Amino acid sequence: MTASEVRVVAERPTPGTPRPYEFPDVDRSRLANGLALVVADLPGRPLVSATLVLRNGAVDEPDGDGGATVLAARTLTEGTEAHNAIELVEASERLGASLHAEAGWDAMSIGVDVPAARLEPALELLAEVVLRPTFPEAEVDRLRDERLNDLLQAEADPRRRADEAFAATIYGGGSPYHRPSGGKRETVEGLRGAQLRTAYRRGLDPSRATLVVGGDLSGIDVRGVANRLLGEWGAMFGARSSGTIVAENAVRERFVRVLHRPGSVQTEIRIGHVGAARRIPDYHALSVMAAILGGLFNSRLNTKLREEKGYTYGAGAGFDLRRGPGPFAARAAVNTEVTVPAVLDTMVELDRIRSGPVTDAELKAARDFLVGVFPLRFETAGAIVGALAGLAVHDLPDDELARYRSAIEAVTVESVLEAAVAHVRPDGAAIVLVGDADAFGSELEAAGLGRLVIERDKEPQDKGRDEGVDDGLGPVDEGTSGPTEGGSEPEGDG
Amino acid sequence: MPTVPTVSFTDERLATGLRLIISVDRLAPVVAVNLWYDVGSKHEIEGKTGFAHLFEHVMFQGSRNVGKAEHMALVQAAGGTMNGSTWLDRTNYYETLPSHQAELALWLEADRMGTLLDALSQENLDNQREVVKNEKRWSYDNRPYGSWYEKLQGHLFPPEHPYHHTTIGSMDDLDAASIEDVSAFFRTYYAPNNAVLSVVGDVDPDEIRRWTERYFGGIPSNPNIPKLGDLSLPPTLGGERRETVHDKVPLPRVYLGFRAPVFGDHRLDALDIASQVLAGGKGSRLHRRLVREERIAQDVALVALGFVGGASLCAGWATVRPGVPVDRVEAALHEELDRLGRELISDDELARARALIETEELAGLSRVEERADRLSMYATLFDDPDLINQMLPRYLSVGAEQIRSVAGEVLRPDNRVVLTYLPDLPPADSAVRDEDRPEEERPTEPVQAETDEEVAA
Repeated sequence: MTASEVRVVAERPTPGTPRPYEFPDVDRSRLANGLALVVADLPGRPLVSATLVLRNGAVDEPDGDGGATVLAARTLTEGTEAHNAIELVEASERLGASLHAEAGWDAMSIGVDVPAARLEPALELLAEVVLRPTFPEAEVDRLRDERLNDLLQAEADPRRRADEAFAATIYGGGSPYHRPSGGKRETVEGLRGAQLRTAYRRGLDPSRATLVVGGDLSGIDVRGVANRLLGEWGAMFGARSSGTIVAENAVRERFVRVLHRPGSVQTEIRIGHVGAARRIPDYHALSVMAAILGGLFNSRLNTKLREEKGYTYGAGAGFDLRRGPGPFAARAAVNTEVTVPAVLDTMVELDRIRSGPVTDAELKAARDFLVGVFPLRFETAGAIVGALAGLAVHDLPDDELARYRSAIEAVTVESVLEAAVAHVRPDGAAIVLVGDADAFGSELEAAGLGRLVIERDKEPQDKGRDEGVDDGLGPVDEGTSGPTEGGSEPEGDG
Repeated sequence: MPTVPTVSFTDERLATGLRLIISVDRLAPVVAVNLWYDVGSKHEIEGKTGFAHLFEHVMFQGSRNVGKAEHMALVQAAGGTMNGSTWLDRTNYYETLPSHQAELALWLEADRMGTLLDALSQENLDNQREVVKNEKRWSYDNRPYGSWYEKLQGHLFPPEHPYHHTTIGSMDDLDAASIEDVSAFFRTYYAPNNAVLSVVGDVDPDEIRRWTERYFGGIPSNPNIPKLGDLSLPPTLGGERRETVHDKVPLPRVYLGFRAPVFGDHRLDALDIASQVLAGGKGSRLHRRLVREERIAQDVALVALGFVGGASLCAGWATVRPGVPVDRVEAALHEELDRLGRELISDDELARARALIETEELAGLSRVEERADRLSMYATLFDDPDLINQMLPRYLSVGAEQIRSVAGEVLRPDNRVVLTYLPDLPPADSAVRDEDRPEEERPTEPVQAETDEEVAA
């Protein structure tokens, strides 16, 4: 065929009338012991999701117990007063349920996804692992060793090395965010059942916990079931943490840290600094700004580094919004030869986003995306439950999700610039690279980006620069990772 | 037992041969538009590996009425998400949008199906070639154990078979791809009679039909799409193949690969259940024995990847704990796989596997994007989109004897590849030691597996 035979329509279609969408109605109540109950009845969603959020995260543990909270969560399903680990997993599988417990920086969550008809027995298992775990020493030993092995594995993975080195670079040693949420070798080695129990009890206060249940709940008395299973739960928590999160910034002025990885065909780039917490007044402006800088496919960074230069499969930037100020990072993996030009291009974009207003077209594209994609994010019960759990983790108002789209619509060119000026600081950024320093070291030095440190230890199993734990709390962190969430993050496990 | 809701749909063809499948679901104001082309890396010839995937990237570089990367801009500004991916048997493109934006996705897909070559330039091709090379580095070459998947595919399929090479292809072939190659590929395979379009969600079917006719109706079919030759293969390898790889990894890992029945063969359904029993989560046999009880492995996995052309691929692995002899882990893997081929699994194991698969199916079908993709898949590969409703009953009908039988046929010593990764102290890249087939190995090329190649990670 030839092009002349083809008939296509040049005129672009105009959108139809949007069908109204509202975030599902949510029923909120408390049990007598203070446990918050959040229920979303979602007709037509037969796969029900339930999550119990305890507000003790890795950020709440003392430095010497680093990793205890994450390991404690993993151990919850390893044995209870009534059942051993195998009995628990088999019981869960018979229900077709995935019973899981995990912790991240901000919280511990115990969740289950199960067909609606089997919700009650699944919640029975959930309550059992939350209220009656035994932390069997043999299982603790095994999981601790697995974590230590995972730390070994992380050393070989350039992505994980870069992420861990970046965190350890930008946060001072007095901040928990300096270490991986799963802990470093020195602290993980010392973890036993006692420390895990302490970490677990830190969150075991029903008046600070939230149970979120979503799905097609017709004919199910969720409150009655919750009351039966969790109503007797009394406050048996141990010492709470102070609640203050130290996020001291260790970067005085811009500098470059290279972890030499001989023969590496790509360089993992992380450029950034201590960022923002989730509860900030300019959250929505920050979200739009981050989408323009490094969240959308056609973000400034991805357009420059990928679509113009071909340096990378994907470049992006974003804020990891935690209870305390999490990191801000621009990231890309680029072929070794273009390492320095890619770093320079990234720096140009970090400067540009804060030195002048975005265009109206950029603003509109980002706002329209974040507003339009909102219903798509909440197609499943699991996603809705995750977002609601995120509100509990961050103490956000009940109407946070309902008002999200209008708040995004209200973001202006000016507020984007203000957010960029407030939250992006290229002059105080750490530039962390994992790659073959022999290939680009002198070029990097000549680029004059700041003090340059090249680390050439080839047996890098010494320090806990890396972490094996997925910091995502799964569903709980949904809605908390902020600006880039829901977007097509140009970098991820595609 | 909860029942998985039936997916109802219509199935028709335009005069040009474009197959249109529509499934209405008004639960949420969203729509999924999904287009499968019946072309994948199996259609590549020697010297042109990686081409189908590179081409997929070019499909986002503009067409007559759409600028470079404008496809993404328009879809995201409409509040949608999109991607494309390439795999051995197919290439797909998809958008998920608020439902009132359905027409935009149809227009975009039609414009590039009809007029991609109008916008094709050397500059855009060169740009995406570099992006794809960085995708290969990121997904395979710069990853610990990254070469395992390419090696398994290379061992399990003979050099003359198109599954011998991976979808990402080789750097040399990517470098050699020319504008003429891209044009020829487009003219040959990107025709309406080689595609299935599925639209799922909150839509008016008549409107979708009208738009599809309006935007796609003027794109001529290609009556001369070449048919692939006979891809059939002997059901087993006919002998064990072993290879030891020294890599920059801290812990040894043993990979196993097996040739398996083709996708669509009921025996592959049974093998899926067998994989669940062996390695599907913390209750599975391998996890229980190697990770929990004997504590000789850090992790275990087993998965069957369904292909339609001659044979599928079943792959598994175990990461060896420090200080544990690699042989011991390998022997334990073989013992458990072998036992599944000799003894019937218990009623309880079968019931648990079925319950988990049912929940998995419920989760998979809960999103319009996944439903649209499956409808396109079953129509493209089997000419039977209703398989979307038949797969769960098929899985649930698998009995203990079928599991024993397929395990005995597939998971056997004379049908397996054993790849052993060992920590490498000297610089890793040069240290591949191939015990069986040195001439075919390219030491520096890792791979990842279960995923196909996508345009945007």
